[in-house]
Amino acid sequence: MDGVLIPTLVSGLLLGSLYALMASGLSLVWSTLGVFNFAHGALMTLGAYVAWTVTEQLGLGVALGFVAGVGAAAIAGVLIELLLVRPFYESRNMMLITVMTTLAASTIIERGISMIWGPRLKQLPRVIDGQVSIFGAPVSSHEALIIVLAPAVLAGLWWYTGRTRSGRSLRAVGQNQDAAALIGIDVPRTFSLAFGLSAALAGLTGVLLGSIRFITPGLGADPLVNAMIVVIFGGLGSLGATAGAAYVIGLIEALLILWLGLYWTPSVLFVGLILVLIFRPNGLFGKAS
Amino acid sequence: MSTLLDVKGIHGGYGAVPVLHGIDIHLDSGEAIGLFGPNGHGKTTLLRMVSGLLRPTSGQIVFDGKDITRAKPSTIVTAGLVQAQQGNTLFGDMGVEETLQLSAFSPPARDGWKTRLEEVHALFPRLAERRRQLARTLSGGERQMLSIGCALMCAPRLLILDEPTLGLSPRLKGELREAIAAIAAKGVPLIVVEQDVEFLLALTDRLYLIEQGEVAREIDRDNAPDHKAIMDMYFGEQAH
Repeated sequence: MDGVLIPTLVSGLLLGSLYALMASGLSLVWSTLGVFNFAHGALMTLGAYVAWTVTEQLGLGVALGFVAGVGAAAIAGVLIELLLVRPFYESRNMMLITVMTTLAASTIIERGISMIWGPRLKQLPRVIDGQVSIFGAPVSSHEALIIVLAPAVLAGLWWYTGRTRSGRSLRAVGQNQDAAALIGIDVPRTFSLAFGLSAALAGLTGVLLGSIRFITPGLGADPLVNAMIVVIFGGLGSLGATAGAAYVIGLIEALLILWLGLYWTPSVLFVGLILVLIFRPNGLFGKAS
Repeated sequence: MSTLLDVKGIHGGYGAVPVLHGIDIHLDSGEAIGLFGPNGHGKTTLLRMVSGLLRPTSGQIVFDGKDITRAKPSTIVTAGLVQAQQGNTLFGDMGVEETLQLSAFSPPARDGWKTRLEEVHALFPRLAERRRQLARTLSGGERQMLSIGCALMCAPRLLILDEPTLGLSPRLKGELREAIAAIAAKGVPLIVVEQDVEFLLALTDRLYLIEQGEVAREIDRDNAPDHKAIMDMYFGEQAH
């Protein structure tokens, strides 16, 4: 058993790290605006393609590709907020309308990507080559980087939202918009900030995914669903709840794959999530309100 | 004395429902004024317009010589016009100290925030005791103290307090009123909304009675009404 368990836990850790990266941005927009950004997956895809163009086509190297991918996603995120979310702030049905407008953005981005980059599969080079061993389990260095990077990014976000002026303003706006405005916080600008930051996280996830999976226009579709499940399962709340849910789901998924195989794992996982939500309707780490 | 705030002919309300029908109030620098009148007659609506949370359909609001009628709330706070809302929870999941620190948000409020935090603690020692507590676990009185404390952290050049003692016990009411009097004594220009006219008369220079979206009466110390006249204003003279 020992020989199988540790590699399984490591692959669970990798899954959890990816889920945490995917979901943290989605959770940030949800907790600031009360909006689910359905274009979050498409932003991941965009980040991966831009990184590929800069790295492979322009030959400028992985590092610059990384930065360009994250930056492009961030800009696209701010544009989505300005053009497709901001006009509906005053609307009573803002949440439902933005489901539609961000879904539209997702389609437009995906189709645009197909037109610009074509249907051929692409792949980014790994940020680092080689292998390392985690507790005796061999892992590619790139995957080890993801396992280390995800908690670092989450810790950075936690520090940012908890300790800095602009990070705290995101939380303030999420909790009480009028009160935030009355202490001088520019609420619409904070919404843009949330979208931009969230999209940057999506771009980062896309770039990291782009070297362990093939880049296709639909690269972000599955991660979007996964991220939404993680955010809802975590209790639609804080960053900590989202991160916790990501790792719980990642580890359980890896163990289920070990015990049941790939075929049944998604169904059993969903049944498990539904059962948890029956007994804890506010999510795994949600507060009863 | 120069005019600090000039509200001229404000009309407006929520959607198609008009609440205010041409309100004129003004405040000179160094002055404190009070607003009173029955609930639901437009006091809070007026204050939301002054702070930029709601747009009037017509009229003009001038603060310190600048037209702020259509300014953003953040611009208005940066200019120094600060409002403490009625007893709300501010940011439920934020700590007391964190909330106060964040409130020194606008660029002019950032300098000297530590001194102001000490002043807020001196004024409301309860907030210093509860600095690590989350805002939603505070009592009604403590929430009100935090709300006023946050407004003070914004470095106000004009402070608006909307019913700061609403729903509090008589003992807490007294405590908060002493604190408000202490703020006024420091020379911060104030607009206070209260139901207790006697308290307002002791604290402020002039009062406006807001009724059915209009200024029904302006009162200063020279034409101060007696208790019976105040009751008449609230309940209508036909009741007698």
